[in-house]
Amino acid sequence: MENSNKEVLFGLYDDEEILLKAVKQAKDDHLDIMDVFSPFPVHGLDPLLGLSSSRLPAAGFIYGAIGALTGFLFMTWVFVQDWPIIFGGKPYFSAPAFVPITFEVTVLFASVGMVFTFFIICGMGPGAVNPILDKRITDDKFCIAFDASSASGDEVEKLKSFFSATGASEVNTKTI
Amino acid sequence: MERFTFDSKFKTVLFGLMGLGVLCLAITFFTDDELHTRFWSNFLHNSVFFTGIAFISTFIMAAFITAWAGWYTVIKRIWEAYALFLIPGLILMAIVVIGLWGGFHHLYHWADAEAVAEDRILLGKKGFLNKGWYTFGTLIIVGIWIFFATKLRQLSLREDENQGMNFAVHRQMRVYAAAFLPIAGFSSAAIIWQWIMSIDAHWYSTLFAWYTGASWFVSAMTLTIITLIFLKGQGYFQKVTPEHLRDLGKYTFAFSIFWTYLWFSQYMLIWYGNVGEETIYFRERLDNYPVLFFGNLILNFVLPFFILIREDNIRKNGTMMFASIFVFFGHWWDFFLMIKPGVWHTAQETLAHHGAEGDHGAADAGHHAAATFEMGFTIPGFLEVGTMLGFLALFLFFVFRNLEKAPLDAVNDPYYGESLQHHA
Repeated sequence: MENSNKEVLFGLYDDEEILLKAVKQAKDDHLDIMDVFSPFPVHGLDPLLGLSSSRLPAAGFIYGAIGALTGFLFMTWVFVQDWPIIFGGKPYFSAPAFVPITFEVTVLFASVGMVFTFFIICGMGPGAVNPILDKRITDDKFCIAFDASSASGDEVEKLKSFFSATGASEVNTKTI
Repeated sequence: MERFTFDSKFKTVLFGLMGLGVLCLAITFFTDDELHTRFWSNFLHNSVFFTGIAFISTFIMAAFITAWAGWYTVIKRIWEAYALFLIPGLILMAIVVIGLWGGFHHLYHWADAEAVAEDRILLGKKGFLNKGWYTFGTLIIVGIWIFFATKLRQLSLREDENQGMNFAVHRQMRVYAAAFLPIAGFSSAAIIWQWIMSIDAHWYSTLFAWYTGASWFVSAMTLTIITLIFLKGQGYFQKVTPEHLRDLGKYTFAFSIFWTYLWFSQYMLIWYGNVGEETIYFRERLDNYPVLFFGNLILNFVLPFFILIREDNIRKNGTMMFASIFVFFGHWWDFFLMIKPGVWHTAQETLAHHGAEGDHGAADAGHHAAATFEMGFTIPGFLEVGTMLGFLALFLFFVFRNLEKAPLDAVNDPYYGESLQHHA
């Protein structure tokens, strides 16, 4: 994302249960967690971290509504205005026949729109640099990361003791 | 262990509503035309609707057991109790069967021997649409459903006593559940053709059974939500979390969309094909029953779609109660629309035929009579709603009776623990 050369102090945990307890402990100790990484979605982690639910579905609804309108109006324009053809004795404006295409365009707009929105919000896509703290967090390790760029020696010690107290199997630093 | 006690207060309310239902049926019977068309069609409508909910509950349980679903175990006693309503349901449908043999009602055009004799289409369908098959279908098919519903219930209760890590009973349950699924699939289609689709005896649609089944499914889900929120308010089912209710809400949403999909598929194919024998079904309903026709779509598609699409709405008990009541009523309305126009048409033809033999004026009037407004046919009147409340009370009475007979927690179900921790 941004090349700010952050000094990150992170601890690796072996199990999601320990991770959840550690996150809870960090909250009680008023430690400011930068991020948590896990190989799979951990139930109950979002509310613990105080993450509000994503507004992506709302965006999806709007894209879908735009798609529905586009699809329906386009079909109407084509078959009523631009190139009217009689199919099976039906009127030019045959709403039931437009519904399947309207549905498809709705799905197309909603899905493609959501994918692009997601990519933009997360800063992903071609050319993006996403530094990874440790390759094992995509496999079997759970990670809590703290931003230690401006931390004093005391604070770093405090974080390290937090990691050892909550059962982290490894504690590392990395500059990203 | 938590047990449900059927409060005498509930009983009084339910008996009151049942009394209202009986009163409404009686008023309908005595103010009706000479064939008692409105009375019999109301009776058939509600019997089919509530028996169907009981059947779908059995089907849902069988499907979930077969799919190794774990989340629903904390609420499975409700569905077991729903499923056992099949027994009173069979009695209700047996009354329709007796009426068929005794000639007490003229719900089905194909049951009228004179009409069939001069009708090529009905003659062609005579092999299936006859009193014998109707009786056989009702008694045997509902009988088989009852066998599986009671079997699943029995095994589930035996599981309560079966302590420890021995899952022999559950394995047995899985066999019955898996065996029930194909039987339920084919038999429900056949029974739907006989009970409902054959009312419009000349018409047929290959999608109709699915469409009706989806309607039953949504009705069962919404009624489950209503009952569950009510019982939770009474202090029962405290282990049921918003996560379980959310799953029920998701099912309601998904199957409302599924219902709409089937409704539209049926409508569009018939509209596009433009075959007279098929389009007459929708022509009739669009011309003479527009309130029912469009109200059906608003109640069962527009309303649940826009309310349940938001997850936070599904998580609000008040909103879910509101939506469930409307959608439940909406599917009752859907069955009303399936049954009433055909019954009305048959009755008018029979009346014209019986009333004035050879009087073409009367026969003609019969054909066009549906164009006028007719309470209890064009829209549901107070008597219909009263009858529905009576049947609902009867349904809930049996459900609560059966709920009382067993602990509310199926603690020895292998999925009980998973269900407690369910998190969506």
